[in-house]
Amino acid sequence: MNSGPVMNRNRRVVSIALCAGALLCACAALALGAAPVQNAAPVQNAAPVQGEAPSPPAAAASPRADFKTLDQQVQGVKKDVIDLNKDLFILEENLLFPANTQVAVYLSMDVGRFFALDSVTIKIDNKEVANYLYTTREVDALMKGGVQRIYLGNQKIGKHELVAFFEGKGPHGLDYRRGATITFDKGIGAKYLELKITDRVARHEPEFTIKDWE
Amino acid sequence: MIERSPPACGRWRWAGLLAFSALIALRADAASALLGKQAPDFALHGLDGRNRRLSEYRGRVVLINFWARWAGDSRVEMPVLDRLNTTYRRAGLVVLGVSIDDDLRRAGEFAAAMHVGYPILLDTGETLGRDYALQRLPMTVLVDRSGIVRVVRVGYRRGDESAYLAAIRELLRE
Repeated sequence: MNSGPVMNRNRRVVSIALCAGALLCACAALALGAAPVQNAAPVQNAAPVQGEAPSPPAAAASPRADFKTLDQQVQGVKKDVIDLNKDLFILEENLLFPANTQVAVYLSMDVGRFFALDSVTIKIDNKEVANYLYTTREVDALMKGGVQRIYLGNQKIGKHELVAFFEGKGPHGLDYRRGATITFDKGIGAKYLELKITDRVARHEPEFTIKDWE
Repeated sequence: MIERSPPACGRWRWAGLLAFSALIALRADAASALLGKQAPDFALHGLDGRNRRLSEYRGRVVLINFWARWAGDSRVEMPVLDRLNTTYRRAGLVVLGVSIDDDLRRAGEFAAAMHVGYPILLDTGETLGRDYALQRLPMTVLVDRSGIVRVVRVGYRRGDESAYLAAIRELLRE
C-alpha cells in the first residue's frame, strides 16, 4: 500500500533531476553560444562578422588574380620564346649565309589575270637551286601582295647567271611556260633579286621580269 | 659431292632468307621511325588540277594513303578510305591519296576509274619514298592535328578498317 507514494516520490525526484539536468545543459549551451558574440566585440573580430556577406566574392577574387598573374607570366614566357627564336633565326642565317656570299631571290605577283601560277624553278649557273610548287592559297597570298623568299643560298663573288622558269596556265587556260634570265654581279654585300610576275594589259599576256635590288 | 650440294644450297637459302628478313625488319623500323615525329611536308599536283601541300592541313587529322595501281591491296583499300572520308570529312578528317607510280597518266586513269571522293595526288615517289620510308604499298600514315605522325600501317588486310576507324576517332577527339 505504501509502495505507491514511494514510487511517486521517486518519480518526482527523477523528474526533478532530469529537469535540473536539462536546465544545466541549456545554460551551458547558452554560455557557449554567447562566447563568440562576446569575442566579436573586439574590432579585429568584428570585421569578419560584418563582412560575412561580401566574403565569398573576396575569396573568389584572389584565385582570379592568381590566374591573371599566371596568364601574364605565360604571355611573358611566350614573348621571350618568340624573341629568342627570332634571334636564333637571324644568327643562323648570318652564320649559314654570310653577307659576302648571300644571294636571296624573292617572288612577287601583281594582278595575275593572264597567268595562274603553278610552279617556279630557279637555276643559277645552270644548276637547279629551287623548285617550288604553289597551292591555291599561296597564289592567293601572292596576289594579295605577299612576297615569297623562294631561294636563299651562297654564291661566290663574281658574275652569275640566274634563269627562272615559270609554269602555269596562260591567258586561255592553256599550259604556259616562260623563262626569264639575268646576269648579276655578286659583290661583297648580300645580293637581293626579285622575280616579278605582272600583267601586260596591252598584249593580254603575263610578263616575267627579274629585278636586281642594288 | 652430290650429297654435299643440297645442304650447301640450303645454307644459301637460309642466308638469303635471313638477309631478306633483316632487310624487311630494317625497312619496317624505318617506317615506324616516323612515329611521333613531324610528318615530312610535301606539295604535289592533284588529279583535279589543284596542287596541295600537307602543311596547309595543320589543325585537321590527315590520312595519307600511298598507293600504286600495281599494288593489288590498293584496289581493295581505296573504297574503304572513301567511306571513311565521306563519314568523317565534316568532323575534320582529310584523306589524301598519293599515287607512287612512274606512269602518272596511267595512275591518273586508274584513280579516275576508282571514283573516290578524296583528292588524288600524283608523284613518282622519288622524294616521298625516301622521306616516308616507303617499303610496301599500300602504306597509310595518320597525322594528328599538330602534324605529328601517329599511325603507320604497311599493307592492307580485311579488317584494317576498324583499326583505322578507332585511330581516326581518337585523333579527332583530341
